[in-house]
Amino acid sequence: MFTSNPFADLAAFLPPIAMQVYIILMLIAVVVGTIADMLHKSSGKYFAQRQKEAKAAATRELSSGDKVTLALKTLAVEVATAGEFCNQQRRISHVLMFYGFIFYLVTTVAMVFVYPTHATPTPTFIPLLWNIGVIMVLIGGYWFFFFLRVNVMNGGQPMFRLVLADLFIVTLLLSVTFAFIWAYVQTGDNLIATRIAFGLYILFSTLLFCSVKWSKLAHMFFKPVVAFQRRVEEASGASALPEPTPSSKRS
Amino acid sequence: MPTFVYMTDCDGCGECVDICPSNIMQIDPTHRRAVNIEPNFCWECYSCVKACPQNAIDVRGYADFAPLGHSVRVLREPENNTVSWKIKFRDGREKNFKSPIRTTKWGSIKSPADYEVPDQDAFKSQELSHEPEALHVDSLPTWSSDIIKTGAG
Repeated sequence: MFTSNPFADLAAFLPPIAMQVYIILMLIAVVVGTIADMLHKSSGKYFAQRQKEAKAAATRELSSGDKVTLALKTLAVEVATAGEFCNQQRRISHVLMFYGFIFYLVTTVAMVFVYPTHATPTPTFIPLLWNIGVIMVLIGGYWFFFFLRVNVMNGGQPMFRLVLADLFIVTLLLSVTFAFIWAYVQTGDNLIATRIAFGLYILFSTLLFCSVKWSKLAHMFFKPVVAFQRRVEEASGASALPEPTPSSKRS
Repeated sequence: MPTFVYMTDCDGCGECVDICPSNIMQIDPTHRRAVNIEPNFCWECYSCVKACPQNAIDVRGYADFAPLGHSVRVLREPENNTVSWKIKFRDGREKNFKSPIRTTKWGSIKSPADYEVPDQDAFKSQELSHEPEALHVDSLPTWSSDIIKTGAG
């Protein structure tokens, strides 16, 4: 199961082109959802305003080299290692979900577009990475859902009371859970069970990618940009925060 | 001056929810970020402002001294035992304050949830929660009717 391409077996009841068209449609849904979200919240407008104000308040101008350094720091800290989280458990859970989702997404695209049938044998590391990605998302996601959600842990809300903020995590977890179940069930000979598991996988994947306007999936694009802007403001002296205490005065 | 949260800076850690004495710092059900749900009931203790590890909570100044364009920002540096405030007025003036904060290590004080839940009999006691041990004394003076001066005739 862990080294076989689950999408190649789909050819038994679904032509490869169907899955390829589905992925392209989901990509379009994410782009449209992100743009709709930006227009609805006017986040682009407010971000441009923030940049303008920061430029006016800057006490020193940053060179291109400075900006590249800040971009690399943002990439290394906020993006690659989820450095914005002060709670280390949430940070680890987020890192698991982040890398797991990337592995899962990239290998899915590779298997559907490059190795759609058994006629083009899939290198074993690709389905292996797909499974590792799925397991990482499941561990990080269920850990977050049951133990780390702030409205449950700190807000005292019941664990199974779902709110709009749960749309992303719930659809992500159900989508990946049924992907895993489908890949397992498919290794048996039960075509009905395979079709049911696959149907649920597609249903929750569609919900995940078509609900971007209402869910927080688009934070993957917004967060790094805001983190970079924050670093630029700090480095150019435009930050409204008080000056840190000089280290010489430290006790 | 009640507090408010910059949603883009908040990471939803819940520190402000835990520390708010009037329970008005809560988690927004749409974005899962902190929000002051009832600014009118804010005690203005600024515990949340100082506790926020992301500096995501700000103070909305009253209109008579800090109308549009102002900002009141705080930076807590427990490693230096300082808390700094930067006040920007609309006309561009800026005031900076730096104050010492307690030297007890941040997070070292037990939260109420870490204590054992008192039983119902504790409500009948004259002592407050965790007295007298929390006051580091063996016992507190007790009251009885014998010590009241009834006065003569």
